[in-house]
Amino acid sequence: MSKPSDLIQGTLDLLILKMLSLEPAHGWAIAKRIEQVSKDALQVTQGALYPALHRLEQQGWVRAEWRTTETGREAKFYALTKAGRAQLEKELAQWERLSHAVGLVIRMA
Amino acid sequence: MKPQRWGSVIRMRLRSLGRRDEVEQELEKELRFHLEQEIEQNVAAGASPAEARYAALRRLGGMAQIKEECRDMRRTNYIENFLQDARYAVRTLARSPGFAAAIVLTLALAIGANSAIFSVIDGVLLRPLPYPEPNRIVRVFLTNHTYPKFPLNPFDFRDFRTRNHTFDSLAGFSRGDLQLSGSGQPVKLNGFRVTAQYFRVLGLRPQQGREFDENDERPGNGRRVILSDRVWRTQFAADPNILGRKVTLDSQPFTVVGVMPPGAEHPGNEYHALAYGDTVDVWWPFTFEGDPANRGSHYLEGVGRLKQSVKPERAQAEMNAIMGQLAHEHPDGDSGWGVLTVPLYQEIVGSAKHLLLVLLGAVGLVLLIACANAASLLLARATARQREIAVRVALGAPRWRLIRQMLTESILIALVGGGLGGAMAVGGVRALVSLLPADFPRADAIHVNAPVLAFTLLIAIATGLLFGLAPALQASQTDLQQGLHEGGRGSTGSGRHLRLRNALVVAEVSLASVLLIGAGLMLRSLVNLLRMDAGFRPQRVLTATVSLPPEVYKTRAEVAHFYDQVITNLGSIPGVRSAGAGTDLPWTGYDENLGGFTIEGKNPPPHEEFHARYHAATPDYFRSLGIPLVRGRFFTEADNKDAPWAMIINQTMARLYWPHEDAVGKRIAFDDTPKESDWMTIVGVVGDVKDRPNSSGAEPAFWWSVLQQPFPFREMSILVRADSDPQRLLGVVRHEVQRLDPSLAVADVRLMDEITDASISTPRLAFFLVGLFGALAIALAAIGTYGVISYSVNRRTHEFGLRMALGAERRDVLSLVVSQGAKLAVGGVGLGVIFALLLARVLRSLIYDVSPADPLTFAAVSLMVTAIAVVACYIPARRATQADPMTALRAE
Repeated sequence: MSKPSDLIQGTLDLLILKMLSLEPAHGWAIAKRIEQVSKDALQVTQGALYPALHRLEQQGWVRAEWRTTETGREAKFYALTKAGRAQLEKELAQWERLSHAVGLVIRMA
Repeated sequence: MKPQRWGSVIRMRLRSLGRRDEVEQELEKELRFHLEQEIEQNVAAGASPAEARYAALRRLGGMAQIKEECRDMRRTNYIENFLQDARYAVRTLARSPGFAAAIVLTLALAIGANSAIFSVIDGVLLRPLPYPEPNRIVRVFLTNHTYPKFPLNPFDFRDFRTRNHTFDSLAGFSRGDLQLSGSGQPVKLNGFRVTAQYFRVLGLRPQQGREFDENDERPGNGRRVILSDRVWRTQFAADPNILGRKVTLDSQPFTVVGVMPPGAEHPGNEYHALAYGDTVDVWWPFTFEGDPANRGSHYLEGVGRLKQSVKPERAQAEMNAIMGQLAHEHPDGDSGWGVLTVPLYQEIVGSAKHLLLVLLGAVGLVLLIACANAASLLLARATARQREIAVRVALGAPRWRLIRQMLTESILIALVGGGLGGAMAVGGVRALVSLLPADFPRADAIHVNAPVLAFTLLIAIATGLLFGLAPALQASQTDLQQGLHEGGRGSTGSGRHLRLRNALVVAEVSLASVLLIGAGLMLRSLVNLLRMDAGFRPQRVLTATVSLPPEVYKTRAEVAHFYDQVITNLGSIPGVRSAGAGTDLPWTGYDENLGGFTIEGKNPPPHEEFHARYHAATPDYFRSLGIPLVRGRFFTEADNKDAPWAMIINQTMARLYWPHEDAVGKRIAFDDTPKESDWMTIVGVVGDVKDRPNSSGAEPAFWWSVLQQPFPFREMSILVRADSDPQRLLGVVRHEVQRLDPSLAVADVRLMDEITDASISTPRLAFFLVGLFGALAIALAAIGTYGVISYSVNRRTHEFGLRMALGAERRDVLSLVVSQGAKLAVGGVGLGVIFALLLARVLRSLIYDVSPADPLTFAAVSLMVTAIAVVACYIPARRATQADPMTALRAE
């Protein structure tokens, strides 16, 4: 099973930005959604998730605000900023290029 | 990165710093929410609450670690850590205030001295000259073997101006003071006669009116004037209709054609010199009069603005080519000359630059010594703190964190020292400027300003790093076991510490020796200058300058009569021992030179001509100045226009042209084919007076009798030697001049003492400052030596006690300790002597009549430094002898 540390450097950022591009969410929801969508292939531990969220926030790519969840609890919701959306585009393009390149190499021979 | 995003990033960082508690609480809350969600999910999946909680916690991993990583993401950790380190440092330093004060004070002195010298360098050397594109401005001189820098001939200048292709504009100027009369007291105005485009060369424009053009250079058009802003305001009440107004200068009507803005700085000149930046009041046209074929007289100073991107060397090459053509066209006057183009900046600051760089080097050494001292003190303390450091290491502090902690401490000390030093610099600079020689370039541009403060901050931080690094590295290598061991006396680290500290002391002593040797050489030069026979006696002599307007005093007879009258009247006043007048005063610019005269029965050496400085003097001029008569006689009232030409020469001229002969009775003439009545007979030989106090010898010189002046000398200096205090005669001179002619201004009223004093102000300043830095350096080095020896004595108290228990005499212990210090001192002095010999070249231009390897100075400084070091060791050594054998043994 993949641990987050096995994720290629920067991939977690990409996944978080992607998730947040759909709708604002709190940390736990982001982690769960990644697990669900990847059919549990990708497990995101809090140890990696929260430092990543804080880094993205510090870099101005996501914005955080405290909101109440459906269950009535206060949670810190993250949302994509305009700069974050641009960053996502950039990272997506980069990912495509990289995975295509890797694909070419391993399919060779 | 977009500015918008920057804004949000900065907001985030500020929030992390400023509202740290809030941010921390939110982090806590966020992670707890996650944990609770996890637990709920587990419960929903059917786990018991306890199991659910346990599983969730396990998944979460280390809560503290996550938090720390999130904090790292804020990128403000290093600031927080710094603040933490700083707080810790302040607490540690507050615990040993004596130690902190010692380091801070020594650093403040060293940093303050550096900032003060730097502010002079910034004002004088670094700031561009106050003209647009100042790098394009050059001074133009003629040059040959005898005269390395000579003014231009006006007609040569005109040819240079029309023929060159490298100058945007080329102008000439020549000192020409004017006397303003009309309203109230007549005043003498500092004036220059300037050619067309003079201000264009400097890049300046009149604030009103125009500058001169070539039309103004024509003979007869010279009665026009451009006023300085100051004169316009003070003398003409800022009259808005000044243009076109007639003003009376030298009793002549001049038309005002322009007013310069304030800050039209004078670029400095050589001939009747007015230093750079001195006040110029009026400019009036230089008119080209006389025969254009006459290329023999040189009195026009050249200045030019180079065309864009033309190098001075190229302009010089072109000017030399033109000079070659001129030499061909006018072989009489123009052969044998080369042209020199010197960038204005170099011309202005050239002489000061070397002195300033030497001073910067000297204060730099002081700073290094202060660093070594601080490092040594810190090392000593690091040993004392070994236990504390060992504890921190044991508790898991990483090595770099310890180094950072120690460096924070040293930088903090240095910053406090720097702050104090900056404050000292403000006072120091004021004192320094007041000490500067009157002719020091750009002294008014010296201030403690932003660049100086930035420099102070920079050297403070660099200093902190420099002196903190070695102790920090050493401390971080503390051996845990040794450090933690109770009473870890004589630990292994100390041996290394001591070696390093010994090395620092040797370095300090050597640098201090270099400075003291420099100071010693400068002191010897100063003594030589003071002891040097000036050739005249400046004491109790009052001088003043009077300039007669040519329109009123038209003939030589009128001029001669005026001065004769004034001097006779002054001489009869009680309290005046003697009174005289002469065209020049010693050391104020003896620069009127005359070449090409004829000496009866002699021919000049090939490619040379007879030349000498020329002057005129009244009979009592020499007596008033105290210039001794060597042979023959002084002038008398009988040497008048009806008598045969009489001439007095100086010893250098006598030796140069009549070696092994008696010059008295010999004759010279100023015509190539003199008639009998043209010959002038030498009636006396007087002692030499050097041009400048530090010139190697006097130039050949002769004097005419004022009563026989061959052309009118309208500007003369009056000299009065008083019986007692000459100050009392100040009013008397003015009164006597204006009794004869109330329209005359009496200018430059000074004591001759002031002139001689000013002439040695540069060497005096150099000695004073280097001496001051040397004293500071040796004091620091002594403190350093004392610290090391004292530390080593403390460490060896046990050993000394033991020795004394075993029968060693106090004397033995004393000599043991003192010799340890003496070894360091001798090593330091030895190194210092070597450094000083290597640096000797640097000092050569700043010392006078002393070899840069002067054995006396080197020996005296070596002895003194060693003696001071030994004294510094003596105090701890005495303590060592007081070690009680019993206490020492019990301490084991």
